[in-house]
Amino acid sequence: MKNFVWGAVSAIVVLAVGVLGYLELGFASVAADARPSAWEASLMTSAVHASVRRRAPTIENPLPRSDDTLIAGGRLYMNDCVGCHGAPGQPPSDFGATFYPRVPQFPRMGSQYSEAQLFWVAKHGVRMSGMYPQSPGYSDSQLWSLASFISRIRDLPPAVAKAVQPPASDPR
Amino acid sequence: MKNFIFGFLSTTALILVGLIGYLRLGAAEVRADVSAAGWQSRLFHSAVRASVKRNAPRVQSPRAHTDDELIAGGKLYLNGCAGCHGRPGRPPRSQTGFFPPPEFAHVGTQFSEPELFWVVKHGIRRTGMSAYGLPGGYSEQQLWLIADFVEHMKDLPQSVRDAILSGNP
Repeated sequence: MKNFVWGAVSAIVVLAVGVLGYLELGFASVAADARPSAWEASLMTSAVHASVRRRAPTIENPLPRSDDTLIAGGRLYMNDCVGCHGAPGQPPSDFGATFYPRVPQFPRMGSQYSEAQLFWVAKHGVRMSGMYPQSPGYSDSQLWSLASFISRIRDLPPAVAKAVQPPASDPR
Repeated sequence: MKNFIFGFLSTTALILVGLIGYLRLGAAEVRADVSAAGWQSRLFHSAVRASVKRNAPRVQSPRAHTDDELIAGGKLYLNGCAGCHGRPGRPPRSQTGFFPPPEFAHVGTQFSEPELFWVVKHGIRRTGMSAYGLPGGYSEQQLWLIADFVEHMKDLPQSVRDAILSGNP
């Protein structure tokens, strides 16, 4: 039993020293122009999804479900999100592919999140990614309109798609 | 001895399972609108610094380091970097973010010029710093100009600062 405890303690010490040494000696790659390995992508993506599901509110979008709401959100999206997340009807964003992890391309992939979860992610951002919090720049009501737009981005009413024009200049 | 090995292996397995469970069950905080705890920030930044020092090329900048080059680098910086890293001659902004981007005009940088070149070219994983050496980004020459400018950003010659900021109010 005494030996078992010694084994347990040395495992903890070896792991802690190993992790610290790995980091402090600079062995952890930091270059962002690579793609996360499959296991890393799967583990980190599921960690983010699970955390968002656990924390985001489970409420309905308080804004009316109307084309006006979608257009308001779409204009915000075209101004501020499109540079990384890509524009509807356009090829995926090259700039979004320069981040690690790569930026989700909503016009192609859609989103697995509910509107409340999209609202929450836009508002608070996602740690350890390029997704910074939008709460200082946008009101809750603006972020709800954005959430409504993103959740319908693959299936926009024609009037909305038309009203939301791609930006004229390179977002970069 | 057998018990020692058993204790070692079962503890290792327990830690790994615990870690994966912690992540998969959504217990890890993801919100980025709070700053990282002091220890997280220290550990992250020292790991990044060590990794950059290990990987950056040990070469001299091919640039001539003239004021004209600083100005050229400064114009690239104002266009492509200032949105996150701040402009020279402005007070630092209060930043929200898990690891907020450094405001070079105020904090300077601990990296050498070749290290800055490498960071701008390859970016930094799991941050908002993307890789600007990829197609559609900057040429090697532009990357060196930016590195030179950032290296000197905290103490720019007045003439350089005036030249960059004129026409860029």
